[in-house]
Amino acid sequence: MRPEQGTRGLEPIVIAEHLSKWYGQVIGLNDVSVTLPPGVTGLLGPNGAGKSTFMKLVTGQLKPSKGSITVLGEPIWRNPGLYARIGFCPEQDAFYERMTGLEWLTALVRLSGVGDTEATAMARRALETVELLDAANKKIGAYSKGMRQRVKMAQALAHDPEVLILDEPLSGMDPIARRKTIRLIKEWGRTGRSVLVSSHILHEIESMTANILLINQGRILAEGNVHQIRDLIDKHPHSVYIKADHTRALAREFLGHDDVLSLKFEGDAVVVQTGQPDAFYARLTDLAASGKLGVIHEVTSPDDNLQAVFQYLVKS
Amino acid sequence: MPIHDQGYRRYSGGKAPRGYGWAVITRAGIRTFVAKRAFLGLLLMSWFPFFVRSVQMYAAANLPQAAFLAPTASTFREFLGQQDIFAFFITVYVGAGLIANDRRANALQIYLSKPLTRAEYVFGKLAILMAFLLLVTWVPAILLLIVQIAFAGNFTFFQTNAYLFPAITVFTFLDVTMVATAMLALSSLSKNGRYVGILYAAVLFFTQAIYGVLFAVTRSSSFSWLSFPANLQQVGDAIFRLPLKYSTPWPVSLLMIVGLIGVSGLVLERRVRGVEVVA
Amino acid sequence: MTAPAARRATPSVLTSAMRIFDLSLGQMLWSRRSVFLGLLLGGPVLLAIALRVVSVLYTSGFRINGAQAAGASVFGMMIWLLYIRFIVPVLGVFYGTSLIADEVDDKTITYLFTRPIPRRAVLYGKFLAYLVCTVLLVLPSVMLVFFLIVPIGGSSVGEAFPSLLADFAMLAVGLAAYGALFALVGTRLKRPLIVGLVFAFGWEPAVLLFPGYLKRLTVAYYLQALVRHEMPQDSAVSMLLQVFREVPSVTASLAALAGIVGVTLWLAGRAVEQREFVLDQ
Repeated sequence: MRPEQGTRGLEPIVIAEHLSKWYGQVIGLNDVSVTLPPGVTGLLGPNGAGKSTFMKLVTGQLKPSKGSITVLGEPIWRNPGLYARIGFCPEQDAFYERMTGLEWLTALVRLSGVGDTEATAMARRALETVELLDAANKKIGAYSKGMRQRVKMAQALAHDPEVLILDEPLSGMDPIARRKTIRLIKEWGRTGRSVLVSSHILHEIESMTANILLINQGRILAEGNVHQIRDLIDKHPHSVYIKADHTRALAREFLGHDDVLSLKFEGDAVVVQTGQPDAFYARLTDLAASGKLGVIHEVTSPDDNLQAVFQYLVKS
Repeated sequence: MPIHDQGYRRYSGGKAPRGYGWAVITRAGIRTFVAKRAFLGLLLMSWFPFFVRSVQMYAAANLPQAAFLAPTASTFREFLGQQDIFAFFITVYVGAGLIANDRRANALQIYLSKPLTRAEYVFGKLAILMAFLLLVTWVPAILLLIVQIAFAGNFTFFQTNAYLFPAITVFTFLDVTMVATAMLALSSLSKNGRYVGILYAAVLFFTQAIYGVLFAVTRSSSFSWLSFPANLQQVGDAIFRLPLKYSTPWPVSLLMIVGLIGVSGLVLERRVRGVEVVA
Repeated sequence: MTAPAARRATPSVLTSAMRIFDLSLGQMLWSRRSVFLGLLLGGPVLLAIALRVVSVLYTSGFRINGAQAAGASVFGMMIWLLYIRFIVPVLGVFYGTSLIADEVDDKTITYLFTRPIPRRAVLYGKFLAYLVCTVLLVLPSVMLVFFLIVPIGGSSVGEAFPSLLADFAMLAVGLAAYGALFALVGTRLKRPLIVGLVFAFGWEPAVLLFPGYLKRLTVAYYLQALVRHEMPQDSAVSMLLQVFREVPSVTASLAALAGIVGVTLWLAGRAVEQREFVLDQ
């Protein structure tokens, strides 16, 4: 790895200006203006939000219907030279099944203008990075789902790009491979290079980076630090579902505090709406530890998911 | 205020009786193709010979100078021969992806996990192709017969050639069944509709080309049984009571056609399975 | 130490095309499609074996129009009826329309289009692989047929051998012309197969029957001028073809075929550069 060769200074890696993409009458991306800073950026959105369209525009597979997009300061559409600086891991599970992992990677590295011997060495190095060297000479058709995902990652980083663009890289991976991949992405970011990674799972993105871009229905909803976005969410009334032995006694206790905005009973549970989730959770933990109001069986927050984040941001 | 149950409610509507699942597949398939403009264009083009023949019949019936255009039994046979080229393109357009696309999308498992037998699935798919093929062969040929009666203003031709209706029906159904089952069998062999289309064309033209070589070498048409188009032509001529074009006895040609239908059936039986077991 | 990606020179179209060729040739040669076409090309060989066996068993040999047929003329007939009219167009449609479409269907096109190579190099490399692959498929078939058929009736293999080489060259030119044309069809249209089949088995045979300039809008018109064997008369259509046949000079035909290859490949390359390939989700 070459930390000194990271994305130059603080120059943005991607600049989109009024970027729109439509497929016939279907809008994939709607008037998006965004600047992605160097480092690791997570693109977060539910299925069908426009993540893949954005990724395809960033990687120059699609031409913008309107607006412009530049990567590393250059327009990407019909600019093949730029691909030497970009590594792309697509979402689809598609391969040349009859080739071995090493053959495939070597062939792809050669397409980046690397000589035969060097290409093989680079391919081996990439396979080693994703811990697939043992299976280097096995046909890709015989790889497991997780191995296929990793070899796909390897082809993205084999030619040593400055920017990695990863479309749903963790899908199909088992928990261990997932952890390793997350670590790899974080390491990549730490070496000063940039990564744009998409996912529809909040905690996956949170584990890789604090810098996120929220997308929904073809529009960017929010961008910036994940904690800032969480703070925003936390200012929004937050529902907490508590299943306990004595829900009414708990409710009486909650009513004495200003941050509790409303209470609702649902069978043997109470749903509390609070304006200050942190303070509420702290009190609840103390209460559960003391045991003075009986046993608390379950505490869940229906709001603590991506959909709630989107709903909140859309409403605001 | 009445409180309504918001929970899951079971479907309480009517259900089609077992054995009609194929009709759902056929309906859906027909709708899919009819929605395509290019396909409608192809269908429209395939009716062009019908309109030309109708004009011919009108002229023959009303203009004494055009009496030489008067239809005979062979007019109908020729008409069906002309429709072969359209039938070929419709077969490739509609048939190539019928099973191949389902295999590509792993949809066979889904189909066969419903109350639908393999036979119903195959029949449903077959009916899609057969419906379109009959639409460009049997339907216009029968309509042509009706047009002839309408323009002539009498039933003389129809009565003299009373065998025409059954001949058209038997021949077109035999033709369509052979073509549709063969295409469906090929479609079940691949996951790529494009390959299937080429495969079909290759098989069809290759058998014809092989026969062409043998004919050129031997100057005898007794090898026509090698060519499927020639077999159809031979059986068609026999059904329409016309002089036979090839030396091959027509029952041999018929046997080849039935054999192809049988082989196609066997292929379908082996290939249309929810789960593919690799030995 | 790895050369820095940013400073690494972007490969030229030719270098890129050759690398795509390396990647694609093995894929094409060992694909199921090639195995199937190999079997199809085994058909003429089987036919040749059958004819040879018959000629050995019945020493009177074959008769064409009452005269004993020479092996060389039977071979010429096979070149016409099987290879020129059938196998070359089929191979052209089959592979030509699939050059890019296969990668799109398999969703592997992304890996090639996100490399620092011009997109048209992908098409050119694949076209080259197609040409080598089909020539490798056709060559043994024609050669076997030649050695099985030509000796029938006492024809000399040695004397006929130069014509075999000419046939090889002619078939390779035919494969190039049809392949390039159908590559253009494949990159421009969503349903290239139907158009390809209509052209090869509808338009070309029909137009060749008419006198006038229309036949110049076919590949067959120029390709047939390169065939050194006599056109067989296996059907009424063939006889009509013979009647209306105009034969352009070999030079004119070669120039026209080279023009077809050049123009269609350039247009196909342009289409690949400009078109967006939206993969099915």
